[in-house]
Amino acid sequence: MDNETITRTRPRKVDQSPQRGPRTLPPMPSQYTDEMPITKTKKKKSKKGANGVEDREEPGVEMGGLGSRRQSETKQPLTPEPQDIPPQRKKKKKKVQNPDVEGEPAGQPELVNDDGVEQHTDGEEVPRKTKKKKKVKPPEMPYPDELGVEDDDIITDAQAPIPQHSLFSAPLSQSQPVGKVFVERNRRFQAADRSDLAKPSDQVDDLMEMKPLWTTRDVAMRVHGGFRVVGLFSHGFLAGYAVWNIIVVYVLAGEKLSNLPNLLQQYHPLAYPAQCLLYLLLAVSTVSAFDRVNLAESSMALRAFLTLDPAALASFMYFAALILSLSQQMTSDRINLYPSSNETLWPPGLEHQILQPWIVVNLVVALLVGLAWVFISTRPEMDYTEEFLMAMEVEEYPRQDKAEISA
Amino acid sequence: MLQTSNYSLVLLIQLALLTYDLFVNSFSELLRAAPVVQLVLFIIQDIAILFNVIIVLLMLFNTYVFRVGLVSLLLERFRSLLLLSGLYLALSIALHCWILNLRWLNSNHFVWTDGLETLFVFQRLAAVLYYYLYKRATEYLGDPRLYEDSPWLRDAFTRARQ
Repeated sequence: MDNETITRTRPRKVDQSPQRGPRTLPPMPSQYTDEMPITKTKKKKSKKGANGVEDREEPGVEMGGLGSRRQSETKQPLTPEPQDIPPQRKKKKKKVQNPDVEGEPAGQPELVNDDGVEQHTDGEEVPRKTKKKKKVKPPEMPYPDELGVEDDDIITDAQAPIPQHSLFSAPLSQSQPVGKVFVERNRRFQAADRSDLAKPSDQVDDLMEMKPLWTTRDVAMRVHGGFRVVGLFSHGFLAGYAVWNIIVVYVLAGEKLSNLPNLLQQYHPLAYPAQCLLYLLLAVSTVSAFDRVNLAESSMALRAFLTLDPAALASFMYFAALILSLSQQMTSDRINLYPSSNETLWPPGLEHQILQPWIVVNLVVALLVGLAWVFISTRPEMDYTEEFLMAMEVEEYPRQDKAEISA
Repeated sequence: MLQTSNYSLVLLIQLALLTYDLFVNSFSELLRAAPVVQLVLFIIQDIAILFNVIIVLLMLFNTYVFRVGLVSLLLERFRSLLLLSGLYLALSIALHCWILNLRWLNSNHFVWTDGLETLFVFQRLAAVLYYYLYKRATEYLGDPRLYEDSPWLRDAFTRARQ
């Protein structure tokens, strides 16, 4: 930015040197009203020069001049860019003139006359140089970087527009678009209004606060929580459905399974849909129970089984019920096909032999599912997989903070 | 870094494919009136399993851990899923071929043998384990540490080099 503005303003300053006098003019009114303050300041400078400061000034004209200029910029409402070059010229002139000053204090009128050509800046800067050369020089040398940082930024930017716009609005607004500041965001420099500088930081803070709410891990946690709700519903529905199923079978079979043809006649359209629904609910419930135990972490799952954790027992029961239920697929299909192929699949007198294991297995499945639901219901909030995800999350953030600090 | 929207979309696709797989496993026996319907369902199911495996592999390739070269770290987490997915795909294709071959001419007759029932039980059990491991893997692939440089990854890298 500084380089750009310098390259832009330089030709103007060379070509339009009479205009630049008024451009850098915040001190001007004092000069127009009367020239006495200038002479006073020059006298001060000459007095100090006479007191032996000249020896310091020669090396200090460049170094201290820069430093004093920086501080004058920080305190003055002048913008830094257009002032960069005129002070250097004056310093060059001063370099030439300094031997005269050293030699004779009578060089004051020359200085005044020279400054009369370019009255604007010296009228304010020269006394500052003399004041701050003594004070600022020694602390400047060990900390040049800090002053360099101050040079760019805040104070001049904040104070500069006020007098310029109030005094010389038309030309200054062209050469110094002070309303915009380029701020680095997302690895790019973007233009922003100075008045809005405080707001983006708030927005960034808001983004930083919002961002953790929508990380991929949070999405995964939400999906996991949602499935746990579905699983919890499935546990209860499966238990109720299995109990209802076995009650219907026993009711239709009659007392001591004496009325099995009635069972086949009434139940055959229900057998296969019931089997399919049972598999669906068992699959969802088994996955949910495995999630609660975190079965994939074998050590954790084994410890849960050995300590007879309710979730571990429930997952074992669901898996056993799943195997038993699947093993009855053939019999269910046989019941399903009862009306179409009555002779071959259901020879007379063999109904009891085929149906009794099926009824017993269904009873066991219903018992297992009911017990598993009771075990799950004792601690419905327990979920080792979620705890594992949470533990990973808690484990990660301090490490990231450390990485940021080290970076 | 994995974007949350991209991850949500991929997660939605994966869960949709899993849901379809569960639906076909549950109710394909009821939809056997026309063998063509079952054929289409089974083909889509096998393609869905294949797609799911491909998506997981692509997500694994997308991780920073994989680019660094710590494939063993990923395999340690997802080996069981990859093995079981392959097993489940093989079992599914075998069962689908067998059942369709038996029912192609007459879909509504008794086809069960002990061998078919054994294959059926193993395929359905593998399906449940596959659902569990796949769902768990999709959730674990949302771990942000897999997608960026972190001290955790550096520790793993130094451990792997030793």
